Amino acid sequence: MSPIEFAEKSSVPLLCINALTKRYGQERAIDRVTFSVLPNEVLGVIGPNGAGKTTLMETAVGLLAADSGELLWRGERLLASRRRGLLFYLPDGVRPYQDQLTAEVISFFASVYRRSAAEIDETLTSVGLKPVLHKRVHTLSKGYNRRLLLALGLLTPHELVLMDEPFDGFDLRQTRDIIGVLRHHAQRGRTFVLAIHQLADAERVCDRFVLLADGQIRGLGTLDELRAETSLPNGSLEDIFLALT
Amino acid sequence: MRSPKPYDAQAAPLRPLLAKEIREIVSGRSLWTMLLLLCPLIGYSFFQAVSLYSESSSAALQSPVLANSLSPLDGILVPTLGSFYVAVTLLFPFVAIRVLGHEKESGALRLLVQLPYRTPTLVVMKLIAVVLAWLLASIPALSALAVWRTLGGHLALAETSNLLFGHLLYGTLIGALALFAASIAESAATAAIIALAVTIGSWVLDFTVAGHPGLLAWIAQLSFTQTLRPFEQGLLSVGLVLGIAGVIGGCVALASVWLPPGIPPHQKLRRSAPCILAIAAILGAATQAGWSVDVTEDRRNSFAAADQQLLATLGLPLVIRVHLAAEDPRYADLQRNVLSKLERAAPKVSVSLVGSRQYPATGSGEESYGEVQYVYGGRSEVSRSTSPREILPLIYSLAGVSQPSPMSGGEYPGYPLVVSADVTLLWFFGALPVFIAIFWWWSRHPRRFDRSLMPEGGPS
Repeated sequence: MSPIEFAEKSSVPLLCINALTKRYGQERAIDRVTFSVLPNEVLGVIGPNGAGKTTLMETAVGLLAADSGELLWRGERLLASRRRGLLFYLPDGVRPYQDQLTAEVISFFASVYRRSAAEIDETLTSVGLKPVLHKRVHTLSKGYNRRLLLALGLLTPHELVLMDEPFDGFDLRQTRDIIGVLRHHAQRGRTFVLAIHQLADAERVCDRFVLLADGQIRGLGTLDELRAETSLPNGSLEDIFLALT
Repeated sequence: MRSPKPYDAQAAPLRPLLAKEIREIVSGRSLWTMLLLLCPLIGYSFFQAVSLYSESSSAALQSPVLANSLSPLDGILVPTLGSFYVAVTLLFPFVAIRVLGHEKESGALRLLVQLPYRTPTLVVMKLIAVVLAWLLASIPALSALAVWRTLGGHLALAETSNLLFGHLLYGTLIGALALFAASIAESAATAAIIALAVTIGSWVLDFTVAGHPGLLAWIAQLSFTQTLRPFEQGLLSVGLVLGIAGVIGGCVALASVWLPPGIPPHQKLRRSAPCILAIAAILGAATQAGWSVDVTEDRRNSFAAADQQLLATLGLPLVIRVHLAAEDPRYADLQRNVLSKLERAAPKVSVSLVGSRQYPATGSGEESYGEVQYVYGGRSEVSRSTSPREILPLIYSLAGVSQPSPMSGGEYPGYPLVVSADVTLLWFFGALPVFIAIFWWWSRHPRRFDRSLMPEGGPS
């Protein structure tokens, strides 16, 4: 997508997260986190382990109860009860329905969302899951389990999909392939929010970044905007992150 | 490929969800392990029951008068299904908890709750899968009934169906309880402890406080072990069915409240309160619904047909005041022989236990202790008998009607059967477990993968 096209399509935020706060006891896992997600973009939530990325995503989709803050969908307040119809979240570290065949799990999701055979085939081909369809989920390698989760996420019809560590378990070539898949879906009208702790992967795939540390936003914007903010005109995302945190 | 609008929960098909739940429960080891354990357990109970029944039948064949006391319901069905009841109490929670506990532990629940289904729909589908698992688990018990028929034994359709219905309700109750336990517990192990604490606690409750008066008697009635007794006695009680259905519905509602993540515990507690009140209200209504049907072939829960017909015509209230303690064996006799039958036969019967006491240490007591007062139409009589042969004429006399003539025919013949059950052990200890193991293996075999699940160009 060209910068002009991106700017035109991104004028109205798809999702606004306003002052979202989640506490565990006295500790604030995320503290008044505020940012917007623009249509058709790939937004990276970047931060080290323990920064609050997973908490932020699970609170945003309603899997965790927020202590305060609100979500706006296209400018209108989004109640927790309506979130599952608009947002879909792929958690990290899930191995769903381990005793079932991979094909059965795919078939379940595809049937729930009434996906056609062509759509299923396209999804399976794009994430490279076909070789293991006959295997039970508990026998899948970490990489294939990740492909399964990605396939489930891509089979959903939601306009905005949040993914926690989508490249975990992939090597460099596989990561590039999956980045291509996500980019392809973004071009066709989907929006992704990806929680990533590997900065090199994030730099390759994301249009904009939310830099998170200790539950607080330390930076927000495109790579160029962040470079300008940190006065690092040729800085990598890693340099920028270190400068801001 | 992307839908422009939010996915509508109403539009989501239920079949894939139910199929997923069934696959999940069938693909686990717990159901098959339970089935394999049930084979010898039920088989040995059946073998012993047939052996004892044959011994009794031998005597009855010499003396036909004894034959009419031989009922397969008491002699075969109840003891055989009794072992099934024990297994359902102790093992079935592990099977039922799996449908939810496994998803919690694997993290799949976080995917499930985002699917376009309402939470009660998710729980109900899981309960249906649990009921289907119970049906699968009942195969050894059902095969015992088939074996009994093959041996030449008699089964009365109504009383057999009633007993199986009671076990189905009990299995569903245990399944619903297990689902609720899984919804509030973080792990399957904790859920199992909660479910077993309730089921085994029911046994303890039954042993320790049953037979005591007042509040303890009411608490004892809440024991899960009480649920099967009327069915085992050949009664289909509307109140009991309503009560069990209410608790099952309550467990489903509570599980629906506690299942979704993202809701603070205090909110879940607040939402639980109406569910608990509804359960209490249904249980209260169930205790008032006294209507029940005697489905036994020998009509053991009813008076003779002529008496039943005459008692049904008594239009005025029949008040019975019993001067006995609840734990007195005479009260149990009176209840079994007269009161429970009267309550079903006559339209307006009210029974009250009057607070009389006897003091065994001194032998003293109220003079009226042991008396039972019958009041009908402003007239009253007192009796100390617990036999219907004395009490029914007394009631007829109060009502001013003459004692009915006994009706001929319809005598229960009894079903003595002398047969060896040795060969049935081969079925329960050999053939049936082998069949189950083969089916288990077949269900897990990779060739079960159905290419029609996927579009063309499936797995390479």
